[in-house]
Amino acid sequence: MGLLAAEENHILMPHTSELVFGLIAFAIILFAFWTKILPRVTTTLDERADAIEGGIERAKAAEAEARETLQQYQAQLAEIRAERNAEIEKAKQQGAAIIAEMREQAQVEARKIVENAHAQIEAERQQAVARLRVEIGTLSTELAERIVGEALSDDAAQSRVIDRFLDELESQDRAGSQAEAR
Amino acid sequence: MSANAHVLAAEDGDGGLFTPGGPGFAPPTTDIFFPPPIVEFGPFAISKYTVLLALTVVVVLGFWFATTSKMKLVPSRWQSVAEMGYLFIRDQVARPTIGKQGDRYVPLLITLFFMILVMNLWGVVPLVGQLPVTANTAVPIVLALIVYVFWNVVGIRKQGGWRYFRDILFMPGVPWPFYIILTPIEVISTLIVRPVTHAVRLFANMFAGHLLLATFAAAGFYMFNPGAPDALLGAVSVVFSGFAFLGFFAFTLLEIVIMSLQAFVFVLLTAVYIGGAVEPAH
Repeated sequence: MGLLAAEENHILMPHTSELVFGLIAFAIILFAFWTKILPRVTTTLDERADAIEGGIERAKAAEAEARETLQQYQAQLAEIRAERNAEIEKAKQQGAAIIAEMREQAQVEARKIVENAHAQIEAERQQAVARLRVEIGTLSTELAERIVGEALSDDAAQSRVIDRFLDELESQDRAGSQAEAR
Repeated sequence: MSANAHVLAAEDGDGGLFTPGGPGFAPPTTDIFFPPPIVEFGPFAISKYTVLLALTVVVVLGFWFATTSKMKLVPSRWQSVAEMGYLFIRDQVARPTIGKQGDRYVPLLITLFFMILVMNLWGVVPLVGQLPVTANTAVPIVLALIVYVFWNVVGIRKQGGWRYFRDILFMPGVPWPFYIILTPIEVISTLIVRPVTHAVRLFANMFAGHLLLATFAAAGFYMFNPGAPDALLGAVSVVFSGFAFLGFFAFTLLEIVIMSLQAFVFVLLTAVYIGGAVEPAH
């Protein structure tokens, strides 16, 4: 200090006190910034960046999930539609099959009815033929009795005569039809 | 205030503007930069500078601890301000000048910036300050020396002592005869002039600015003399002093800009020097 005494108040001459205290003040502030303050600031900024990135990530995940769900729904919808179409197709086929079956049944029934009718007609014809034969016989006998004047009392002999007569008629008739067929 | 100034002037017996036989205007001298020491012990003295230095530490750390003690992901208003301060130094100073490794030097740069800013601003704080700490040569010298040692150490550690000084002494890519001229210039400019200008730029700006403000204030007080013998001249003196105070306020605003700018310039140059030391030249 004695050395500087002469120049003590020269504006360019640094004072020892301010040199030292300035250094101390600088050291204190630097230490605080380095060890305490800036780590907090950088940590917070990093955390915020992470949080923002995390938010973006979450939004992306949610979007992906929504898209996936939508696809699932669409797939389900398509599946259901396909199933329904298949059902309708099946029902149509079944309907057609039922109709065909019914028709067949109806035809069978109709044919049976026709056959029955034929059989009945045939039976009635036979019956009529049988009755006619009996009545014709009786009538012919009566007619012959009256014409001949002779009572043929023996029923058995009577029917034998008639049958023979009719057989002859039939055979003539058959021969005629065979000749015709030839 | 006017009455006081007048009374004071009358008491001192020096009158003022337009008082015949007055002492004339005595502009402020460099004595205003040497406040009397409060306590003295050995080579050390506690002066107004020391008090303001301590207050600087309190203000800077108080602000930063208050704003960052309970940091949240969604920042409060003051936390945002602190973050802006940090991001300003990191994104506007450290990264553009130093590059990818710039983040490592942010603590040093942010310390320098806020310390110098507060020390400068004491020059415009009424009552408490009205004396920029950086207008005392010792403070810019200490800071410039720290920076000088720091970037040289960084350069030696990053590039190796041999290569680092070879690049400074013999700028690569220059034909050898030029070294006769270039090497002395490089030595002087990089190793000697650089730290000196770094310190002087800050000191001189603060010194000159403070002297300017003091002169305007002193002139304003000097010219304020409504009790002059001629009443008309008394009125004129009031108008003159009004202009002086108007100038004082205008230059105070300008000083605030210069104070912020010089803090920024000092830190920017620090970053540029470190950047030059981190990366090998060309």
